[in-house]
Order: sequence, then C-alpha cells, then structure tokens
Amino acid sequence: MNIINFLKNNVEKYPAKTAVIDEQRSITFSELYQEVQNFSNSISFLNEKNIISLVSENSILFIIAYLGIINSGKIVHLIPPEISENNLSDQIKTSDSKIIISNKLVKKNFANYKSIKIQILEFEEILSRCDNKIRKSETNNIAYLIYTSGTTSKPKGVPISHSMIEFTTKNIIKVLKYSNSDVDLLPLPLHHSFGLGCVHTSLYVGSTLVLLKNATDLQYILESLIKFNVTTLAVIPATLTKFLSFDRDVLKSNFSKIRLIITNSTSIPKKTVQNFKVILKEGNLATYYGLTEASRSTFMIFNKNNEREESVGRISPEVKIKIINEEQSDLKPGEICIKGNNVITKYWNNDNADKNLVDGWLQTGDIGYFDKQGYLFLKGRNDEIINIGGEKVTPIEIESIVKDITGVEDVAAFGIDHEIFGQIIKLNVIKTKNSDLDKSQILSYCIKNLEKFKIPSKIDFVEKIPKTDYGKVKRFMLK
Amino acid sequence: MSNEKELMDTVKGIFFEVFSNLAQSDFSWEKEQKDYESWDSFAQLNLITFSEAKFNITLTLEESIDIKSAKDLLETIQSHLT
Repeated sequence: MNIINFLKNNVEKYPAKTAVIDEQRSITFSELYQEVQNFSNSISFLNEKNIISLVSENSILFIIAYLGIINSGKIVHLIPPEISENNLSDQIKTSDSKIIISNKLVKKNFANYKSIKIQILEFEEILSRCDNKIRKSETNNIAYLIYTSGTTSKPKGVPISHSMIEFTTKNIIKVLKYSNSDVDLLPLPLHHSFGLGCVHTSLYVGSTLVLLKNATDLQYILESLIKFNVTTLAVIPATLTKFLSFDRDVLKSNFSKIRLIITNSTSIPKKTVQNFKVILKEGNLATYYGLTEASRSTFMIFNKNNEREESVGRISPEVKIKIINEEQSDLKPGEICIKGNNVITKYWNNDNADKNLVDGWLQTGDIGYFDKQGYLFLKGRNDEIINIGGEKVTPIEIESIVKDITGVEDVAAFGIDHEIFGQIIKLNVIKTKNSDLDKSQILSYCIKNLEKFKIPSKIDFVEKIPKTDYGKVKRFMLK
Repeated sequence: MSNEKELMDTVKGIFFEVFSNLAQSDFSWEKEQKDYESWDSFAQLNLITFSEAKFNITLTLEESIDIKSAKDLLETIQSHLT
C-alpha cells in the first residue's frame, strides 16, 4: 500500500479530525489530503525530474510537500537543513536530483553554496503554480531517498520503498500499540527515518501528530505534553537524560498521561531507563534497533518486570537477525545481520555499499549478541573497535560505565594511536554544571568496574562531543 | 618532609587502586614488576595513566617503560614535581 493510501483511509474515516499541529496552525485529514493534491498539481511542471530534494524545518508544509512529491510519483530526497556544502554537493551529484524545494531560510543559506548549481525553489513559489486541474496520482516503488548520517564513513544513499514503509509501520503499530486515540508529540527532525517513521505511524492509525521544531527547549516540550493532551512522545536518549535535571514531581505530573515514550537505538544510559520507569506512572519507555537500511528491526519495551535496561529488545515480527562470529553462536558477540521486508535491496548508485547486502542479508557493521531469552544487546560497531595490544574493546561498553559516574553529563570513548599498544582508549568527557569531578575519580571508577585493558589512558574534559541529530557520536571527528 | 610523606602515600594509593587485590603486607617500595602476579603491560599503562591524572604530569614513553617498581614510579613522579 502506498503511503498516500494511509492518508486517504483517514480522510474517509475521520475527515474533520485534526491530523497535524505545528507551531503555527493545525490541519484536518481532509484539508491535508486536499493540500497534498494541490502540491502534486503544483509540481506537475517538473515532469521530467524524477527525484526532488526537500529540505525544511518541521512544519505542516514539510509534510504536505513530502506527501505531495510522493503523490506525484516522484522520489523525495530528504536533506537536513544544516547540511554542509560538501555533503550537499555529494548528495546532489549521486542522487541525480535536479531541483531543491525548501523554505525561505534554507534557500537563503544554500544560496551561499557556490558548488550547488541546481534550482532551489521555495514552497510558496511551488504552490503559486497550482492550476487546480485534476491529475491522476502516480506511483513509484521508491518513496524517499535518505543519506545515512555518516558516523563512520561517507554518507550512503538509502532508497526506501513503499512496501518497506508499510511493513515497518505495521510492525511499529503492532508492537507499540499506536491507535487513532493517540496524540503523538514529535520534536525530532523529519529528514531521518526515526522522525519519518513516527509520521507514517500517525498517518496510518489516524492519530494526531504534534510537530515541534526542535528538541532542545525541554520546558516547551513539557508544556506541550499538557497543552495538547499528548499520549506518546518520540525523543532521542540525550533529551530523556536531560529531563532528569528537572524536579521529579514536575516530571511525574507532566508525564502522567503519557502511555509511551519511544526513543532510538543510540545507547540509553541505564540510569535514565531506571528513572523513567518510575516517572511514567502508567506508560512505558521503549526503544528500537534499526538502521535507515533496516528500520525498526527490534523493539524493546522497558517495564518494571524487565531488568534488561541495556538491551535493544527482541526481533520485530517477520524480521530475521543472525550474529556472525567465529563461534557461530548468536549468544556471543559478532556482526549483526538483518533480513526482512524492512531491509533495502540496494543502495542508491553505490556498488561498493551494495557489497554489504548478501542474499538479502544486510551486514550492518554493528556488533551485538542475544541473551538466551532472545534480547539483543549492542556492543558497538566493527569499525569503531579499539584494539589495545590485541585486546578488543567497543567504545559503547566504556561509555556506559563512565556515564554512571556522578558529575558526568556525557562521554565519548575512542581509540588513539600508541607506540607500544597500537591503540589506547581516550575519553572526552562533558561534566555536569558545577561538577568538581577530576580525572583520577573517573579512573578509580573505571578500575573498579572494567577489566584492566579497558581502562582509559587519556581523559580530556570538553564542552562538546560531535554528534548527529540523532545523538550518535561522530567518532571520526574525535580522532 | 610532610610533603614527601603525602607524595609517598598518594603513590602507594595508586598502587592499591591499580592492584585492587594487593594486600598491605605484600607492598614494598623495592619489590619489582616481575614479583607482582598481576603487573602486566596493561597494569603498567594504568599505573602511568593514574599517576599522570593524579599529579597532572605527562610521562615520556621512555620514563614509562623504565618504571619497574613502586620506588621507580615515586622517583619519576618526583622528578616531574621538582
């Protein structure tokens, strides 16, 4: 089923129901469908252009444009607004996009990018071309093209088909029990599969989606929970951890109606999970594991009866996961491989990346293992492993220990070259405000909680750790 | 004098942090690396790291390699502090 059908179904069932609310206005399902049709009509002059790049902050207009492009049978290439000129230039070249549709601010920024030669049109310029002629909806197997965040390598184009979207959306709904009575708060950018997956879910079940422009204003998010009678919230783990600096009673009160907080697979500090188990009176915190190439491959619902705070959960319905290692055992750490209708069949114009797809199995490069009950635990990435004199360590296991130290707000572990050991572990640590934590206290804690080859050899206190929008550490920038 | 005592206590403390199973009676300033069961290259690295963090100093690779006893470590640290 094409995702436009998700919308059509809701137009039939709940035409006057509010579909989306942004910081300026709200729109019903019926109005949304009409505006999507208008947008498709407005871009009919771009007939020969199969791929259209879209870049904008979160807004109803973004959703209209996204669905409007898909409805016209074209592929949406999604671009983050803060993209660098080099990255944008690469993406435009490899995607073969011939036009960018954006809001005014982004168009102004991109105008400074001398290497970008294709046309950039604002939403208003597009919509002014609507001639109200009725045109038939077109279909394309591919709905959108998104480039991986590139935490370890150059971004790769990932084409997502309608059938992948339908499969993944149904799994999300089945496991996390979304329904048309939900009000879903989304302060995440929509140019990523986490945010987009939430949009698809709301469109499928006919819930109301509340879009916020950013996730940094925690007070505003808290107020929005109450203001819109929100029942589900999607945020990255770092946002959840930052919430813990608020008064506990305030959090309990603001989160009292929340039935679900969904977060993505970046490791969530154990303490954060434990705290939110208490803060959420009736609801649950959940996470998932997946890549843009294999969205929502596992789900984990943290509840009071499950002590596996560091797991990313069990395999999603009708998805297969195997662990490749010398021991040939899923219970031992190895590379995670995924197969299922949520997995891409090919990267976009990238033969080299296609080598990661073998007989339908995606070799993720992520390291993990299952416990006997089938819960998956992540250990890091193959290409992030630190090799200290032959002993292999994943950054994530160091970080998860250091994050438990009082006075540590955030930490990134990575390998640096060493004359004797080949590599040693370095930590970049952000201290909490007013913390008097020193390096020897961190080392003492590590010595008590880690094997001796995992003890960091260098520690720097820093103000910032480079991360993607979704909280993944950009380790290549640290080395 | 009290500064030296303080320094010795701190260095001794580092030893007991790195070798957490070490009994008080098994410690001596002269005892050499080969006489410690768990003083391998990783423990050596941890002794150096801990000392650098505690005294805010940086040891050279040669200095790090030459440390074979608690006394060596103490003297190396002292040379950086004076």
